[in-house]
Amino acid sequence: MSTKLTRALLLAATLLFAGGSGAENMIMGRVPMRAETVIEYVKSSIEEHGYTVAHIQLCDGGMTDFGYKSDLYRVVFFGKIGEVRMISERYPELVSYLPLKIAVIAEKDETLLAVLNPEALAPFFPDEELQIQFGRWNSDLLSILKDVRRGIAGHVAANE
Amino acid sequence: MQPLRSLLSGLSLAVFIAGGIAHAAPDGGELYVEHCGACHQMEGQGGIGLPLLNAKLADVSDDYLRSTIRLGRPGRVMPSFMRMSDAQVDAIVKFLRERSGTEPIEFSKDRIAGDVANGKTLYREHCAKCHAADGSGEGEGTGVTLSRERSFLVMPASICNPGFLASAPDQMIQRVVSVGRKSSGMPAFGKGKLSESEINDVVAYVRSFERRERAVESLDAEERPTHVYESPNDFDTTVANVKASLTGANFRIFPDRLVEQGLIDEFSVNSRQIGVRFCNFNVLYGMLKIEPRLGVVLPCRITILERKDGQVILVVPNLRVVSRWFNNDELVNLWDRVEETFTEIIDEATL
Repeated sequence: MSTKLTRALLLAATLLFAGGSGAENMIMGRVPMRAETVIEYVKSSIEEHGYTVAHIQLCDGGMTDFGYKSDLYRVVFFGKIGEVRMISERYPELVSYLPLKIAVIAEKDETLLAVLNPEALAPFFPDEELQIQFGRWNSDLLSILKDVRRGIAGHVAANE
Repeated sequence: MQPLRSLLSGLSLAVFIAGGIAHAAPDGGELYVEHCGACHQMEGQGGIGLPLLNAKLADVSDDYLRSTIRLGRPGRVMPSFMRMSDAQVDAIVKFLRERSGTEPIEFSKDRIAGDVANGKTLYREHCAKCHAADGSGEGEGTGVTLSRERSFLVMPASICNPGFLASAPDQMIQRVVSVGRKSSGMPAFGKGKLSESEINDVVAYVRSFERRERAVESLDAEERPTHVYESPNDFDTTVANVKASLTGANFRIFPDRLVEQGLIDEFSVNSRQIGVRFCNFNVLYGMLKIEPRLGVVLPCRITILERKDGQVILVVPNLRVVSRWFNNDELVNLWDRVEETFTEIIDEATL
């Protein structure tokens, strides 16, 4: 099949299957569980998607140390070494947005998960290789959050 | 012809499946969880978004809900869901109605005549305390206080927002002013406080907000999501200069963190790529009141890379671009100023 025809088919399929809500700049999810436990689900889901958790930033700890009251507020950083190296070598302008990160925000007994949608960067980088990369990250992030939601829903159901 | 036949049969299958998806009745509950629950909470208690309480839903029309979903609230976190199908929007509205057990109120779209000048006087006297003199809603942030202390439990709605004004007909605003909203603490002004004519004047004044421009500067077409600067110094000197400059600007600097750190073993990590991370917790605490989702871009970081040819570069997020991804005008206006601070830090570090 020629490259042009392949692209046409891919484009047609993409347009046909595109979600109704379109790409938002922020991907968010809410789960009915305390944030301390949710972080473990997030880490596990990230690793199941082939990423490595690099570290967890304790934003709440910093604020508390300085005398500000804060619920749990953490940021989980993760990535794939190959991708990080490729980006820093070929597209250093993007290195500010790596590793990827998920903000874990406690809201009483529930937890809000928020991620910057990498596709927010797409309009600035028309390069085809990057467009594919942004799409892949977007899809992985959605899947990670979906699996966290599913895992927690299963846990909650099993304990009811 | 074989490849073309495969292509066409593949495309037919795609159309067939997509057709099936398009015709399946959308599930309003699932759509709510996917698109609304994160901000409004699953039962509509509110969080980053305002509460969607039964009493509030009983006060509005289905058209108002549809229009609010479609248009969002520009500059106030709530996104616009323009790409949703009509069936999906209707499904969410139906779900909200069924869950709350409320019936919509239908409002005429006729405009209400009133004296704008008198409305302004009355507004300043009775409404500005919560909705602010410009109608933008007093206090920092949006939604409900959950994680941090703020001046209001429920942030008063921005009634000058173009999304609100396009969704709410005059008759609806008149009713809310007249009967109030117990659920959010809005008092009723129709029980002897204001006459019908005075309420109409207030409505006319609120409607006059439509003519206002959004107070957010637009971006230049050539603005990029990051700034890249070449350092005149070697790697170590550049890192030291950046840290000195940040300290001088009253930022606390976190321990060094290499870009690849944690992703690969410590012997293989590239030690000539470092993220200098920094924070001013006082400023951060204030910013989180305005925008609770800020963590998606935290912590502040200047990345310093040594290229293969020895050139050292500094990569810094362009806050003017990043802030606009949040649909939060308060954050945009604040970060436009912080961006100037960042520029000064880099200028000093790369002298």
